[in-house]
Amino acid sequence: MKALTGSRLADGEAVFLSDGGWVDRFARAQLFADDDAALAAEAHAKTQITVVVDPYLIDVIEVEGGWAPLSYRERVRAMGPTNKLDHGKQAEGGEEFEVLSHAHGAARSKGRVELIKRK
Amino acid sequence: MYRYDAIDKEILADRVAEFREQCQRRLAGELTEDQFKRLRLMNGLYLQLHAYMLRIAIPYGGLTSGQLRRLAHIARTYDRGYGHFTTRTNLQLHWIKLKDAPDILAELAEVGMHAIQTSGNDIRNITADPLAGINADEADDPRVWVEVLRQWSTFHPEFSFLPRKFKIAVTASPADRAATKIYDIGLRLHRNAAGELGFEMLVGGGLGRTPYLGPTIRQHLPVRHLLSYMQAILRVYNRHGRRDNIWKARIKVLVASLGAEAFAREVEAEWESTDKAAIDLPDTELARIRSAFIAPAFEKLPATSATFDAAKADPAFARFARHNVRPHKVPGYAIVDVSLKKPGETPGDCSSDQMDLIADVAERWSLDEIRVAYEQNLILPHVKLDDVPAVWKALDGAELATPNIGLVSDIIACPGLDYCSLANARAIPIAQAIATRFADPVLAEKVGKLDIKISGCINACGHHHVGAIGILGVDKKGEEFYQVSLGGSGEADASLGQILGPALPAGKVAEAVDQLVDVYLRERQDGERFLDTFRRTGMTPFKEAVYADAH
Amino acid sequence: MPMLIRWTGQNAVAAEDPFTAVADETDVPRGDVIVSLQRFQTEGQRLIAEGRKVGVRIEPSEAVEDIAADLPNIAVVALAFPKFLQGQAYSSARILRERYRYQGEVRAVGDVLREQAGFMARCGVNAFEAADGSTPREWGHVIGRFRHVYQRAADGRAPAFEERAS
Repeated sequence: MKALTGSRLADGEAVFLSDGGWVDRFARAQLFADDDAALAAEAHAKTQITVVVDPYLIDVIEVEGGWAPLSYRERVRAMGPTNKLDHGKQAEGGEEFEVLSHAHGAARSKGRVELIKRK
Repeated sequence: MYRYDAIDKEILADRVAEFREQCQRRLAGELTEDQFKRLRLMNGLYLQLHAYMLRIAIPYGGLTSGQLRRLAHIARTYDRGYGHFTTRTNLQLHWIKLKDAPDILAELAEVGMHAIQTSGNDIRNITADPLAGINADEADDPRVWVEVLRQWSTFHPEFSFLPRKFKIAVTASPADRAATKIYDIGLRLHRNAAGELGFEMLVGGGLGRTPYLGPTIRQHLPVRHLLSYMQAILRVYNRHGRRDNIWKARIKVLVASLGAEAFAREVEAEWESTDKAAIDLPDTELARIRSAFIAPAFEKLPATSATFDAAKADPAFARFARHNVRPHKVPGYAIVDVSLKKPGETPGDCSSDQMDLIADVAERWSLDEIRVAYEQNLILPHVKLDDVPAVWKALDGAELATPNIGLVSDIIACPGLDYCSLANARAIPIAQAIATRFADPVLAEKVGKLDIKISGCINACGHHHVGAIGILGVDKKGEEFYQVSLGGSGEADASLGQILGPALPAGKVAEAVDQLVDVYLRERQDGERFLDTFRRTGMTPFKEAVYADAH
Repeated sequence: MPMLIRWTGQNAVAAEDPFTAVADETDVPRGDVIVSLQRFQTEGQRLIAEGRKVGVRIEPSEAVEDIAADLPNIAVVALAFPKFLQGQAYSSARILRERYRYQGEVRAVGDVLREQAGFMARCGVNAFEAADGSTPREWGHVIGRFRHVYQRAADGRAPAFEERAS
């Protein structure tokens, strides 16, 4: 299962594709079971240069209470810095952050690895 | 301190206008991200995990109270009310919006500050010994030359698209507090046997994936030829540095592959063909810049202060005096360190309120000067001994007086995976865990000088290779692991750390540091620092202690 | 067809380009041509003797020193920027202008974008095959952005320290 993420151009906030728009909460991200649909969404996102920067696909896994990014790095992006819990998305509180913080481990998302290689 | 004149200010203003236009073009889609990224990096603006990060240049680490207050204001207005001081004596703001960046640069320009070339494949902010101008053993004031180089390197048309970033450090003291051996170019000011002032040129040092200590390619360059010689070095690098692989693109790789002598010959040949008179700075301009750094008007004071001595009756102040106060070359004055390393806090972070307080203290009691140390602390360079107790009280009230300068809890740590796109692992929680273990000031004092340096990835912004204990975050199958190394030093006795053993999981690192310190306390002789004991005993007792249960 | 923009030292103007860039495998057509360094080294003398204007294209890894002796007969040196961040050409341009006092046209070709116009002009580039569709006016605007410069380069602008001294 995958989701599509990127950085919002205007302010650099981590955003996630959600039914044609971009949201700043992972909990509302659109999940792609179909790789073709995911790749098509990624290709389209790359044309939205005034909206989002460097979109890439991330792997997501099912965890207790919902879904979470597989990679630790993506969970930090989805939550906020761990040294200041009153900064970042997590500061607004909510069940979704409980869910995210239950996920563990795992390697970098393939989508991120490919992005780095491309650069 | 150099004050920007009308010309310097117009240059900044033109730069702000340029960047404003470039941002507008990007936001309108007229520039692609690939095209714009280079431009914004040349203005110190990174895209990171949560937001843009702006890296503000603080040349030779020097700030006035007015400048520090402006930084506090910018952090409050455009960020989350704090900033992070780096190992390159810059200030980072981690929550910036692209659309605010031009306004921020305009506000910085008003106080003679900027973010020019704090990123990108260009010549970066130049650092110097933080005690420049105060050291008794200096051949000259390195800040003069930092300002000379700052002007020369700013928007240098030939050297703005180098193979990779380029970093320069200047020292004038045999003690080398600028770590010149780990820089692309390290400049060591000294006088030769004839008493002439010159630079020892070290080229090709650096950390990262392939750390090197820079070899000397020229023992003595007369100071008047600095710019023409620098042009020669940069030109050889610009033409011949590798561009096929970012891990091989620094000048250190070019120097190592040619060999220091062959590299030196290339530079000398290029220099010989240069019209030096056209490039080198005229004496009048050098004198103008030098005049900005004349010593402030110190009072004639006795060497000791009854107020200071009496205050030491308070053991807390006495401890502060032992670790955070250093002698000044002018009698009756002292150098006071401001610790940004309260155990449990993020190393190097400073809130806007704290910045304002430090600015007030500096204006009142430090001849309006603040310095940034590469250890991510601040320095009040000119405090009368009489005033140190009052300074201590003010700092203590703002949690800026932890008496731990140079001690085990004075940890250097990069922002790591909590903020940085490049990171493999977090550095801040590791620093917090270690510092908390050694929060007891009696224990910290017992352990003595111990430089712990933590990097969240191989880019080594935490300078882990030159830590007495170095810690490098690595990603092992998605879990955070840490490779520990011992025996590094960035000072005059520079050395690169040796790897202790297999990487440790996050939960084991602070415990390992405990074990290493125990070995040191057990083995140490006659006033040895941790680094000295390690150099004497070698790795064996330390490795045994940490990996004992592995067998 | 990329447009040629010329920088006169005061203005950026659109210009007709009489030169044809010729690939190594292609036969040389009539008229003024720009050829690779390698081709110039084998055929350059002949081409010049035929009465054409001849230009030489220098790749980032090639040395302008190799054509130093021939510069009086070379009408154009085309410095290649395969990607705009490959900056070797900035050094090549300065060497041509400052060391060899080359008076002909120094032209930037390849990934030539207007945000780099200022750097190029300061290094002595005076013609640009703009790859981003920007106009001479836009180029002139970028080149003229800074009222002062800190260091001496190939464009003859007085560095800030000279302004201060006067």
